[in-house]
Amino acid sequence: MRRLYLPGLAVLFICLVAAAAPLLPMPDPIRQDVANRLAAWLPGSPLGRDEFGRDVLSRLIWGARSSLMVAFIASAIAAVVGTALGLLGGWFRGVAEFLAIRGADVVLCFPPVLLALLVVTLLGPGTATLILVLSVLYLPGFIRVSFAEVLSARNQDYVEAVRALGAPTMRILLRTVLPNIAGPVLVQFSLAVAAAVVLESGLSFLGLGVVPPTPSWGLMIRGARSTMEQAPMLLVWPCVALTFTILAMNILCDAVRDIADKRGGGGAKRLRLVDRLLPGLFPPPASPAPLLDVQGLTVEIAVPGGVIKPVEDVSFSLSAGRTLAIVGESGSGKSMAATAIMGLLPPAARAADGVARFEGEDLLRMPEAQRRRLRGGAMAMVFQDPMSSLNPVHRIGDQVAEAIRAHRDVTAEAARREAVDLLKRVGIADPERRARAYPHELSGGMRQRVMIAMAIANKPRLLIADEPTTALDVTVQAAILELLAVLRREEGMGVVLITHSLGVVAEVAEDVVVMYAAQVVERGPVAEVFARPLHPYTRALLAAVPDGDAEPEGIPGVVPRPDQWPPGCRFAPRCAHATEACNAAPPALEGQGDRAVRCIRWREIAP
Amino acid sequence: MLWIAKRIGVSLVLMWVVATVVFLALHMVPGDPAELLLSTGGAMPDAYAIAELREKLGLNRPIWEQYLAFLEGLSRGDLGNSLVDDYPVAEEILLRLPRTLELILAGTILSVLIALPAGTFAAVRAGGAFDRAASWIAALLQAVPVFVLGTLLILLLAQTLRWMPAGGYVPLAQDPARHLLLLSLPAIAIAKGLTATVFRMTRASVLDALSRDHVRTARAKGLTPRRVLTRHVVRNALIPVTTVLGLQMGTLLGGTVLVEYVFNWPGLSTPLLRAVEGRDYPMVVGIVLTVSALFLLINLAMDLLYAALDPRISRS
Ligand code: SF4
Repeated sequence: MRRLYLPGLAVLFICLVAAAAPLLPMPDPIRQDVANRLAAWLPGSPLGRDEFGRDVLSRLIWGARSSLMVAFIASAIAAVVGTALGLLGGWFRGVAEFLAIRGADVVLCFPPVLLALLVVTLLGPGTATLILVLSVLYLPGFIRVSFAEVLSARNQDYVEAVRALGAPTMRILLRTVLPNIAGPVLVQFSLAVAAAVVLESGLSFLGLGVVPPTPSWGLMIRGARSTMEQAPMLLVWPCVALTFTILAMNILCDAVRDIADKRGGGGAKRLRLVDRLLPGLFPPPASPAPLLDVQGLTVEIAVPGGVIKPVEDVSFSLSAGRTLAIVGESGSGKSMAATAIMGLLPPAARAADGVARFEGEDLLRMPEAQRRRLRGGAMAMVFQDPMSSLNPVHRIGDQVAEAIRAHRDVTAEAARREAVDLLKRVGIADPERRARAYPHELSGGMRQRVMIAMAIANKPRLLIADEPTTALDVTVQAAILELLAVLRREEGMGVVLITHSLGVVAEVAEDVVVMYAAQVVERGPVAEVFARPLHPYTRALLAAVPDGDAEPEGIPGVVPRPDQWPPGCRFAPRCAHATEACNAAPPALEGQGDRAVRCIRWREIAP
Repeated sequence: MLWIAKRIGVSLVLMWVVATVVFLALHMVPGDPAELLLSTGGAMPDAYAIAELREKLGLNRPIWEQYLAFLEGLSRGDLGNSLVDDYPVAEEILLRLPRTLELILAGTILSVLIALPAGTFAAVRAGGAFDRAASWIAALLQAVPVFVLGTLLILLLAQTLRWMPAGGYVPLAQDPARHLLLLSLPAIAIAKGLTATVFRMTRASVLDALSRDHVRTARAKGLTPRRVLTRHVVRNALIPVTTVLGLQMGTLLGGTVLVEYVFNWPGLSTPLLRAVEGRDYPMVVGIVLTVSALFLLINLAMDLLYAALDPRISRS
């Protein structure tokens, strides 16, 4: 709202001055006084006199009056007529729709100034002609806005209901639709007024708008051109007045539009991705070095009310050739943890704490250039939605080849051939032809195969797959998981599989990390965790394993939002075993051999 | 291919609609055009002269016959003769159109060359100093009417500093250097609105493209930031920009009328304004139809470009 004040006040000021012109103690704007022509300053004429000795300030203010009057009247006519046409067109459809919408299209076929000149030729210049032309020019905007609103309102149940009750059409229109379109019509109106001021001044400048001696900014600029040499300021004043008015109106329009759109979020502040910590804060990993060793990973996002931590103190490790699954509901922070490891966090988020060692080197603190060479090379990632994750405007073969050439110095032709081989490898039939296809020409499963081909293009040692089957048909899911398992075996990759499906975990993973509300709540080998889950959340998940790959159901409630975490155990509000003690303090992650659990009562309640 | 044929068909239909609207407008004017024409200046027109003019304009024939004759003339490229000097309108337009086209082309190239890189850079460094400065300049450019900018350029560069001629025209063949010098100011003035709009659109579009999943994929491949930007951000961001470019050309075409007037550039503007004042109907109609056709043609070209840039359109 604050953005409205300044331009709003400026526009209001201009309008008030223009409206009050007859009341202000100023010389007559059209009284000529040839003796004082082009005077730079005279008592009572602070801005001097023009080429006929008329007072400049007075003419500026009266000029604002005629410009704004024309603009407002024309826009108001356009608003009323256009909205009415749009309403009728949207309500009755058929012929009314055709006339309204096609009529609007016809107006849009002419460049505005040309249409205006045509009408001026036919009707002769003058204020009435101007108003007519301008209102016709801005009709289409109003027609479209109101038409679209009526169409969407028609489909709403309550409108249908009122109609079925036999309420008269007019009443329905006015009662239900008009309030909804007030916002967009207001936006259109402000746009139309600003545009009308521009066009009016342009036509007057050409001598085809406002007829002299009526003062108008366009006419003033036109007149001052001939005396530019003797009196340059005479030219500058109306130029400044006109530009300032339009600038204020445009800024006001933008602000009004943003508010009407209700999505004027400014976006979070950009933060530096890596906060350098003292090196060696964490002990070096025990040998043999795991492929990926994550310790205490914490991700922070700055939000208006402070800082939230969608990933908090997450630790796990993965050896070469094994598969680790990270499970949890949406909102648990599992995807965010994976993106942090890859260095692909969105700008607002940063890896604030912890280490993620890939073959001994900390990914979180290495220079971006070095990390970039690893990304897509030694470590690769497959994303959830293969449609949006592929670039729609490039052929898939090119997108795979691009991954190859980003890391290896091969010719375009060699990369292309390799891409075709890769497509074949991931089970795409007729890879030569498919390589030339665009993403939208492939099925979902096929696209995910392309994503996988892209990921394995440079024989990665680590593959992170973020819900690779969630966006796919149930029938395709198994095939994709099978493909990943085969590739892992053949390539000896370590795989981190992020999923919300325990069914998937059981099928492909050796180790599992269960996450809830940004934290690890349980960790251990899959067989043991499934046989003897220690955390109530894991047990609830297991009990709720649905058929196929749907979100687990049956646990009452949802994951709390990061800014609303309970003070003690974050699962407490949904936990069947919760006691007073659970809410008192956050439980720590307790280790037990190769298992770990975050629950103060796990010993009592474990089976 | 079928899609392209359809799109061209739509353009032809629109052209026909435009011609029809112009024809109807001419004949819907209250009063007799012949009488109106002759009575400029307040003098009582002579009945014989009116009859003669009616005969010449074909106003005595039934309206549908006039309409068919009008369309038939159009299809042959015959736009009638000027009422003032009886010169064929089409020939006048053919002489002047290339100069106007040159101005439009120069202005468009100039604004695209400035606005695309500036918009991209502003989006990549959103919120930075360049972004803020450029956004303000764009807002200012959008607010200055094109004739105001032109006039102020003359006042500053020609009148005060005396760096540039205030306007005029020299054929390219006669003196290329002076031709380009005289072209530069009008081209800058013409480019201003388009530059501001394309800048804002590019900035918004690049910002949107930056947040797309496929950009993350591109980064996950380990591409250099530069390559991610050119191939996966800008390439995609261009698609919505082309649509705006087409629509915005209407404003630009109208702007040429003012700019040519301000800088004394002998394009279509001069005969158009003279004809508007003198109510030389055939000349006004001819020029309005020509420029509208140009507008439709540009939009057709933009749609085809759009399809070429976006495989999802051309192939479905
Ligand atoms: S700590 Fe308490 S509330 Fe939390 S999971 Fe364990 S039993 Fe449930």
